[in-house]
Amino acid sequence: MSESQQIKVVDAFDLDDELRGLLKPGEMLRDAQGRRHRLPRYFYEIPSHEAAVQIRLTPHFGINEFILVDLREAQRLQQFPRYVPCAVRMLAFFLEQFRAAAGASVHIAVNGGYRSPAHKMAFDASPHMWGTAADIYRIGTSILRTKELIDRFNDVAEELSDDVMVLPYGHDTGQTVDDHVHIDLGYLTVIPREISEDRMEVPQESRPRFAFEERRKRERRVPQSVAAGSENEK
Amino acid sequence: MVAKPHVVEEKLPVSPAKDSVAAAEVSLYRNVLKIKKEHDLESLGIAFYDAQTTIHWSYNGDHYFHAASTMKLAVLLAVFRQVDRGELALDAPVHVRNRFTSIVNREPFMLDLGNDADPDVYGHLGRTLTIRELAYWMITKSSNLATNLLVDVVGIPTIQQALDELEIDGVRILRGVEDQAAFDAGLNNEVTANGLLKLLRLIAEERAYSKNASGEMLHILLEQQYRSGIPAGLPKAVRVAHKTGNISTVHHDAGIVFVEARKPYVLVILTQFRAETGRGTAVADVSRDIYNTIAEMTYE
Repeated sequence: MSESQQIKVVDAFDLDDELRGLLKPGEMLRDAQGRRHRLPRYFYEIPSHEAAVQIRLTPHFGINEFILVDLREAQRLQQFPRYVPCAVRMLAFFLEQFRAAAGASVHIAVNGGYRSPAHKMAFDASPHMWGTAADIYRIGTSILRTKELIDRFNDVAEELSDDVMVLPYGHDTGQTVDDHVHIDLGYLTVIPREISEDRMEVPQESRPRFAFEERRKRERRVPQSVAAGSENEK
Repeated sequence: MVAKPHVVEEKLPVSPAKDSVAAAEVSLYRNVLKIKKEHDLESLGIAFYDAQTTIHWSYNGDHYFHAASTMKLAVLLAVFRQVDRGELALDAPVHVRNRFTSIVNREPFMLDLGNDADPDVYGHLGRTLTIRELAYWMITKSSNLATNLLVDVVGIPTIQQALDELEIDGVRILRGVEDQAAFDAGLNNEVTANGLLKLLRLIAEERAYSKNASGEMLHILLEQQYRSGIPAGLPKAVRVAHKTGNISTVHHDAGIVFVEARKPYVLVILTQFRAETGRGTAVADVSRDIYNTIAEMTYE
């Protein structure tokens, strides 16, 4: 990421109630095996569609590719500013290696990058909720729907590092794959270096976070009788 | 050797007065029997409603046929139910993925690329199309992939609920398309001519949820690209909002026919034939016959 492309890092505890309710920062979730994992807390804030298209995490992967979702994602999370866990840049780094090893362009599927815990495909904890998993439906011109292709690219991915996990070919939803390659780095969280971890894991009530919250606060300060009087004048 | 078809000549009622509505109905009935015999059809179902004359006529109208792609009319109706209720946006993106779950054993299945009428939808694999685009391709090019994606979005219970709410009997939707396990288990979508007629009448009369929703559905149906059914029996200037349905032994068409300077008529023609016979032009022939009957009628 170049200096001109710096993205704001946010602590999800500082977001408004609706976003916190959807992103569930710091909450524990069980995976399919019953193991508990803590959801990420630090996110990149992507202000606009234009920014999403422009910001490159690596030479061949833009941040927009990791936030492609369909109507199964919560509606609020489809609107800008969008949020994606900071660990996504680790995934992009490995995907860049994968692309080089595969020798062709790598296309991430819709719903195949970051999926929030509110996404309708989110049943158990999955690395997609950590921004550390990618479902790849096409490599170069090959659409991945045969065992031969999926096995071949799984081998390429596993050769990259012991930290890279893939799902084998098969038809059990969630356990195996038959129409894409799944690559993940596990439940990895990234704490950006500009973050100090001594902050409370609750919203900081003493300071307003957004302009509309400031307005609400001001409205609350207006005495009840005055508010009622102004309403009657209409 | 192919067996000679056995067609029972049915007794006609006493001849009514010339130029009367009854005379038109008798004429239709006679011609339909002739077409059935000529095309060696196993089954023929017709339902017809003319908004101009209010003639409502059917032949074998409550007989159930394999729905083939006419089931997509019910999916369209359910999509616009959800849109009308604000539960779905027409511009909402849907992930185009060729992977579905059988209603029988919950096993995943994929559509056969070669069978789908619309390779354009497959071109978006891994990307998105909007609800509006999927509805458009589902109807105008009968895309099976678009259909199954929409069935996944709205769900079978919602489709049935839409049919129940609007009191449409004669349309039974159990599943999406190309669910081979369901087919093998005898679980198929079925329609009657009267059922589809009711559905299309609601759209034509702007009573399918709302004027807006009906208008949107009508607009899509008017863009139909397969014209070998009802339109093939009509003059070129006549516009038809319709949906065809074809599998190996059935050929259906159900549509709203707009003839200039008169109110539209709704026509449903369902045909079933032997595999060795082929589908022929029975639907177009019935359509032509009905158009001619209508054209010859005089009304206030």
